[in-house]
Formats: sequence, structure tokens, C-alpha cells
Amino acid sequence: MAQASSDLTIQEGQGTRDDRIMKRVFLTPTVFILLALSIFPLLWSLGISFTDIQRGGSTTERIEEATGETGTGFLGMSWSLSARNYDRLLHDSRLWIAARNTFLYVFMGVTVQYVIGLLLALVLNQQFRMRGLVRVIFLIPMMTTPVVVGYTGRMMFDSFKGPIADLLRHVEVWWAQVPLIGSELDLAVPWMTDTKWARFTMVLMDSWQWIPFMMLILLAGMQAIPDDVYEAARVDGASPFQIFRRITFPMLLPLSATIILIRGLEIFKIIDVIVVTTGGGPGSATESLTMYIYKTALTFGNYGYAAAISFALLVLVVIFSTLFLGLIRRFIPRDQF
Amino acid sequence: MKRRSRRSTLLLYAIVIFWSFIVLFPYYWLATTSFKKPLDATRFPKYIPYYDFQPTTEHWDYILTQRWDKTWGSFRNSLIIASGSTFLAVLLGSMAGYGLSRFRYYWKRLRWRNDNIAFWIISQRFLPPAVFIIPFMIAYADLGLIDTHIGLIIAYTMFNIPFAVWIMRDFFNGLPTDLEDSARVDGATRWKAFYRIVLPLSAPGLVSVAILSFIFSWNEYLYSLMLTNAEAVTLPPFIAAQNTQRGVEWWYISALAMLAIVPVILFGLALERFITRGLVAGALKG
Repeated sequence: MAQASSDLTIQEGQGTRDDRIMKRVFLTPTVFILLALSIFPLLWSLGISFTDIQRGGSTTERIEEATGETGTGFLGMSWSLSARNYDRLLHDSRLWIAARNTFLYVFMGVTVQYVIGLLLALVLNQQFRMRGLVRVIFLIPMMTTPVVVGYTGRMMFDSFKGPIADLLRHVEVWWAQVPLIGSELDLAVPWMTDTKWARFTMVLMDSWQWIPFMMLILLAGMQAIPDDVYEAARVDGASPFQIFRRITFPMLLPLSATIILIRGLEIFKIIDVIVVTTGGGPGSATESLTMYIYKTALTFGNYGYAAAISFALLVLVVIFSTLFLGLIRRFIPRDQF
Repeated sequence: MKRRSRRSTLLLYAIVIFWSFIVLFPYYWLATTSFKKPLDATRFPKYIPYYDFQPTTEHWDYILTQRWDKTWGSFRNSLIIASGSTFLAVLLGSMAGYGLSRFRYYWKRLRWRNDNIAFWIISQRFLPPAVFIIPFMIAYADLGLIDTHIGLIIAYTMFNIPFAVWIMRDFFNGLPTDLEDSARVDGATRWKAFYRIVLPLSAPGLVSVAILSFIFSWNEYLYSLMLTNAEAVTLPPFIAAQNTQRGVEWWYISALAMLAIVPVILFGLALERFITRGLVAGALKG
């Protein structure tokens, strides 16, 4: 990327003394904060994951208190060093459920959000009255607190007092009265109580909130495509669908890849919606990894194991990003992404 | 522009109206529930006030007068923490963005230039926050930062900075350097040129960063849940904790939820242009 440099912009080692100092003053605070609050905790977390540290002490400390021995910990410290957390990680079926759920949320969420977001962007790319207002309305969910989205979703999807269940009940009644078909239709969907449906409901709620994001970015991408490209296609007699397939969609591919990656990485962090709707249940069937970390740390107080799980999450995120980037490299030329 | 057929125009409006309904109905439901008597909210769905059910303001009264201490407490915490971290993110983010846009950095050991540094900064945003939470809990307990405003402000600043740097760098790259150059020829220092000339010119970018940071901090749940317990609890965990022993009291939760989201949504709608611009800049240039 070209630097917006001017005559006064210093080159390496040149420039006024003021510039040489300010150059550091501008960037150092940010780099320092990120090193101190992001890189350092990351390494520290890796360290903790190999210990038996718990809330208010460690397992070693408790054993020492009980037996009266001292100095059994690592180098005389109050905790021990072992790979036990990682051993437990491999045999923890709850962790595997959480990991599978997280992947499921990411893949389903990204797919639903991208497809609907693209459709809505195509619609909003047309000229029609009140387009500005409609676009603003579509953006509201994005600004809503996810905890509130969860609670509202729980009210909406309630199988007794929720309006969605009510609507479906009416559809059932109406369907039974349709002549010739007349078969019974069972639309009593257990949105929150059945394991499989509950996972899907989580995706729906997250999608409701984040489809606008996809739509917004894709719309901006569509509006950046020059008009004469479309003109040329129309002159050649291309149908709207052909225009979409041969022009709009391919030209949006690099941008699509970017936002799918952004959204995917965001869904890896999902927790708030799940906490307030199913609380991870039934059992731990809808739990995400972030939620399992939170429960391990806050409810069970096991910091060492929580840190180990958080590294499992990090590994999954890295695998996802690498696979995804590798995949799109095959379809999108390097210079476009 | 080619004229659309009647049928596709109808389809267009059908989709727009359908999606607007999907977006807006949950808010309608939330708003009406906050005015429903408990029996109206827990039995078969009631839709239309005065027709289906008799609205009552007692829940609003409850959270706004009887429990005003608690409501205002978490509202104030959210306000302080979101504003504080927004201010820091805007300040530090625009400084770093300016530095990355106007100077050339080179870090010999890794052969990193500006683009590498900028990429490293933005990549921090995509690490799951849960990865750092354990060290934060331990360190905050030792430093006495648990349950303090400062603690959460620091944490949220860390989350907001990468995005702020990214957007501001992009903004400064598009800003001509003529004005600051002439100011500096007239003897202004770098810093003076930055905050007297560059910052005022960058108001749109600053507003984008500010509103996005504010919304993020206002809505964040995990860190507030883990790092606060009484004094500095922000709205999201406060609302999430309304699962009382008497069961979920939907009417109070709805009123609280309205209180939490309406200011931000109004604020966001007023500055909608800046949100759009900020998000687009963040994704397009990413």
C-alpha cells in the first residue's frame, strides 16, 4: 500500500528530531497495550494451562494443607506443573460436544447469514422508494445487546406463550381445513427444548442479529461495481440471473471471503445468547466453547483447566482460519484478496 | 436504468416488507411485554394493547422507582465504562493510525514494515477474548481491579484499539498532507499539527470509531460477567442475571432490556452513516 507521504515525512533515520521522537510517541502506546493485555496474557494463559491453579489457590496447596507437607509444588512454588489438563482435555466428552457445537454454529451461522445477507443486499441494491429508511431499519439488530437478543428470542420461540408457536398453531388449524389435502400437520416445533432444534434456534438468533452486517458490506461492494460493466452485459443481452452469476457474484467473491472470515471468527466467541436462552442445556447440548470456559472458570473455579480449554479454542480458530484461507486461495487470485 | 416489470417490483416490496417485519416484530414484542400484567405475559400470546390485554406501567414503575438504585447503578456503570474505553480507543487508535499512515516504521528483527504492524494489530481483534480471560481474572484479583470501572475500561480499550487503528489509518491515508505540511513549515510541531489540524479534519472517522467502540463496550458480556460482581456490573450481565428464584419475570426483563437497547439504537440511528462507513472501511480494506 502506498504511504501517503510528503516531503516532510521522514524516511528511515532522517527527519527532524521532533519527528524521530513523535514517530515513537504515536505508535508505542498501542503496541504496548496490545503486548501487555493481549500477547502477555496469551503466554501466561499457556503457562496456567499446565498448572493446577484454582480459584483461591491450587490443588497442590490444598493437599499440602491437608497433609502438612510443604514444598511439594513446582520449584517450591504453591502449584504443580503437569500436562494433566491436556490429558483430561482429550477425554472430556463435554469438551467435544462444545467444540462440535461451536463448529456447527460457525458453519451454519455463516451460511445462513451470507445467503440471506446476499439476497437482501441484491434487493436493497435496486432503486425503490424509502430505500434509505429500510436500510436503517435493517441495521437495528446489529446495535442490540446480544443478551437482549437472547431474551427476546426466548420469548419469541417459547412453545406456549411465544408468537411463533401461536402462528404455527394457526397454520396447523388452517391446513387441516384445506380441502383435498386434509392431512394433519405437526408444527409444534420444540425450539428450545429439543437438542437439535435448540442448536438451530441459536443459529437463527445469531443470524437475525448479524445478517444486517453481511448485507451492509455486500451492498457497499455491489455499489462499488462500475455501472458500465452492467451496461455492457445488458447490451450483450444477458438476463438478470446471468448478470448476477457472471458479474456480481464473482466480483463480490474477495469481499465475501473477507466477511465470511470475519463473521466466522466472531461466531467462535458466541456465549451471551446461549447463556440467557438455554443456559447451555438441555444438559450441555448447546454449550459453546467460550461458555464451557466460563463455566469451568467461574462455576467450577478450575483456572488451569479453563486455560487449557481456551487453548483448544484457539487451536480450532487457527485451524478454521488456515483451512478457510487455503480454500479461498484456490479460487481467488492472490492480488484480489 | 432498465424499468422493472410489475411482478419483480411486487416481489421486491414483498421481500422488503417481510424482512422489516422480521426485524421489527421482536422489538414490538419486547416493548408490549414490558407493559403486560404477569398473567398476560405467561399465557397464550396477547398482541394488541387495549384490545387483547390491558397495559400496565407497574413494571416500569418498579424498575424506575422502587429498584431505581440497581437499575441506575448498572446503567451508570455501562455509561462510564463504555465512554471511558471509547475515549481511550479513539485517542490511542487515532495516534497509532496517524503514525502508521505518516511515518515509516521498520523493525529489523522480524523485518516488519508498516503493513505488517497494522496487520498484527488488526489480527488481535480476531483472537477469541475467552483465551485471555483466565490471566485477566488472576491479575485483576492481585491488582485489586476486580469489580472496578478502571478494570473493565482497560480490558475494553484493548478490544477496541485494533479496529480503531485500522479505521483511522485508512482514514488518514485518504487525507491530503498539504495542510499539516504548511502548518509545520510555519513552525508547528508534529503533535500540534496532529491535534490542531489533522484531528479536526478527521471528525467523520473519529465518530465512526467512537460509535463502534461504544456499541461494542455497551453490549459486551463475557468480560463484565467474569471481572465484576457487584459494584461495576454493566447492563448485559445485570439483565442476564434477572433469572430470579421466582422464575423468569419477563415483564421486568423486557422493561430493563428496553432501557438498555433504546438509547444505543437511537444514538446509532442518528449516526447511522458513520457506522456504515466504519464497518465498510473495516471490511473492505481488510
